[in-house]
Amino acid sequence: MARVIRQRPMNWVERLYIFEAIRGLWTTLKHAARGLFRYEELPTISYPEGQPEVRRTYRAKHRLMLRADGTPRCVACGMCAAACPAHCIYIEATASDDPRIEKKVKRFDIDHLTCVFCGLCVEACPVDALRMDTKEIIFEHRTRDEFVANLQTLTSWNPKDYPDDAQSQVAPGGTKNAEARKVWGMEVKN
Amino acid sequence: MSNFYNMPKLPTENSPKVEIFVDDKAVMVPGDTNLLEALKAVGIETPHVCYHPYLPVSGNCRQCLVEQEGPRGRMLVIACYTPVMPGMKIYTPASSARVKNARKATQEFMLVNHPLDCPICDKAGECTLQENFMEAGQNESRMRPEYGKNYHGNPAHQFIDAKGQLRGGKHVDLGPRVLLDEERCVQCDRCVRFMRTIAGSEQLQLAGRADHTYITTFPGEKLDHEYDLCVTDVCPVGAMTAKYFRFQKRVWLLSHTPTISMDDSLGANIWLDHADGHIYRVMPRCNPEVNRSWLSNTSRLAFQNFDKNRLPAMGFHVIQEAIAEAKKNGGKVALVAGGSCTNEDLAAIRLLKEALGDSAEIFGGTFKKVGAPDGIAMSGDPLANRAGFKLLGIADNNLEDLVKRASEFKVLVTVNNDVFGDGGAAASALEKIPTRIAFTPFNDATANKATLAFGIRHWSEIQGTMVNSLNILQKLSACPVCPDEKLRPAYEVLSELAGSKFETAFDAFKKAGEYASVLAGLSYDTIKNTGKLLEGGNA
Repeated sequence: MARVIRQRPMNWVERLYIFEAIRGLWTTLKHAARGLFRYEELPTISYPEGQPEVRRTYRAKHRLMLRADGTPRCVACGMCAAACPAHCIYIEATASDDPRIEKKVKRFDIDHLTCVFCGLCVEACPVDALRMDTKEIIFEHRTRDEFVANLQTLTSWNPKDYPDDAQSQVAPGGTKNAEARKVWGMEVKN
Repeated sequence: MSNFYNMPKLPTENSPKVEIFVDDKAVMVPGDTNLLEALKAVGIETPHVCYHPYLPVSGNCRQCLVEQEGPRGRMLVIACYTPVMPGMKIYTPASSARVKNARKATQEFMLVNHPLDCPICDKAGECTLQENFMEAGQNESRMRPEYGKNYHGNPAHQFIDAKGQLRGGKHVDLGPRVLLDEERCVQCDRCVRFMRTIAGSEQLQLAGRADHTYITTFPGEKLDHEYDLCVTDVCPVGAMTAKYFRFQKRVWLLSHTPTISMDDSLGANIWLDHADGHIYRVMPRCNPEVNRSWLSNTSRLAFQNFDKNRLPAMGFHVIQEAIAEAKKNGGKVALVAGGSCTNEDLAAIRLLKEALGDSAEIFGGTFKKVGAPDGIAMSGDPLANRAGFKLLGIADNNLEDLVKRASEFKVLVTVNNDVFGDGGAAASALEKIPTRIAFTPFNDATANKATLAFGIRHWSEIQGTMVNSLNILQKLSACPVCPDEKLRPAYEVLSELAGSKFETAFDAFKKAGEYASVLAGLSYDTIKNTGKLLEGGNA
């Protein structure tokens, strides 16, 4: 239902605009002075130096969860790619060497230039392999290719950054586990 | 279960129409078929798992239940094994809650120990169980968490998984091309019936009883047959999977191009399933007259070489210069047409012959061995368009003649014909012809021995028509998988050489209509997807 808001007509002092302009300038001056002398009280943050507080539930950069043996939980089912409205996920699958596991992921790319951070891939994942709880919201790279997160970057997270999540603690060493990397066919460097 | 069942009678165009009552409404259905096909003919789909139109009816899945009015009241019967009778009264879920509940219960029973593998199952997206669940099931799970799904089949393949559940047979190696997942199997026995009745080699069996049933081969033997990949098609679930396609692509990402397999003169109807510019698999396309739902492994796996060893695109001036050079020397030209030439290519070859005049002569045929038809989906004749050769007045078997008279010719032009690769020593006389021009998609033996090898499109990448050994005109569609967009179809290049270029495949088809009157007046739209039987009947 529409509602008409009747505004009070301005009186003649206000219609002069001189006093109103001075009032506006006073507000600006107040904030400028606070920025100079009482910086910490400002409601904004000075971004590159000060970082905003990001909560665990914020849809930030993705990470791939790991099994206890250090291999990614991802079974390459493609549900995330099917759910993705931006078509930014590319998956290649292959047969697993582990007889208890059928299918494993060979290639998992998320193009963060195309990603809209909707979180539908996380919802779609049937094995809770994909999460967006890294709190990483800054993407700065020199080339476009570096914005494409691959299996290596998605799994190189530190369990210490997730102290309150028990499932992140089960994979000892994360992807720094050379044994695990060998199991899922990623070359082990140094 | 008996070992012998009857093949279902399928409705045809000539089926007598009888009146039956479906949900108390009178409908006219084909009278010489089973109820499932009859209901399908009037647009009522019945969910089914074990029934397959080209396999004997076994009736073990009980998913196609309908109610029939009988002397003892309304009874549940299976639609796939009930013949249509005039005046019968049928009730479908549209009017009968009992049918709906019965189907739902059957569905639930079938899924009790079926693993929740859909995310990693290759069949997901084209799975009969998934379709039936959406249509007839939609049950709430009644599984208690402490029980979970249990596998009772082949005790040899049982194992305890990471969550402590009894699992089994996730990848049983049945043979060189097929893997079996025993957990997913619903014991519909379609694969058993296929190997027994269609392939004629009983290599698969159901072993055990009740929910301990599992599919197996005979001890020490493997599933190895020319048609063994068909069991992955008939499998309604993801139990039988083809090794070549396993985990390659999710099926919903594939696009499908209907075309004809041009490696055999039966011209098996196929789907080329492709995604991002690559063919991922070849599936049989149902054509009751030609290959039904079957496809040989040879035709099915041929696609793996379609994009390998290809010739690059070349400028047209190269071939023009070569022809001009050859003309300077004078002498006769031999045009050799090969097996995978479509009618359009043949029309262009005839056009080129007319342009060259009396100095040119057309030869056709293949050095490959012509086998016998196997009665399933192969005629054994590698010259795919042999009937088209005859139709367009091109010799289909005079390559020996060419070899004998090789010294007469100064120029040899081969089109889609690997004469040196197939002929070997028999074709060595042709190497004495000074100018050898090969139009071929592949860098094969003929391309290597040619003085000029000109890359053209493969048959999977062109539009066209062919006439198969049953005299059925079938059409090919272009699958967008050409490795180089600059490659051109043979008919386009040859007609440009002849001086009047065919801009489209249909221009070439119209020209073919001038050479063969039965093709005149047809267009690609008037040829049905299952082909058109040409006048004169079966050749």
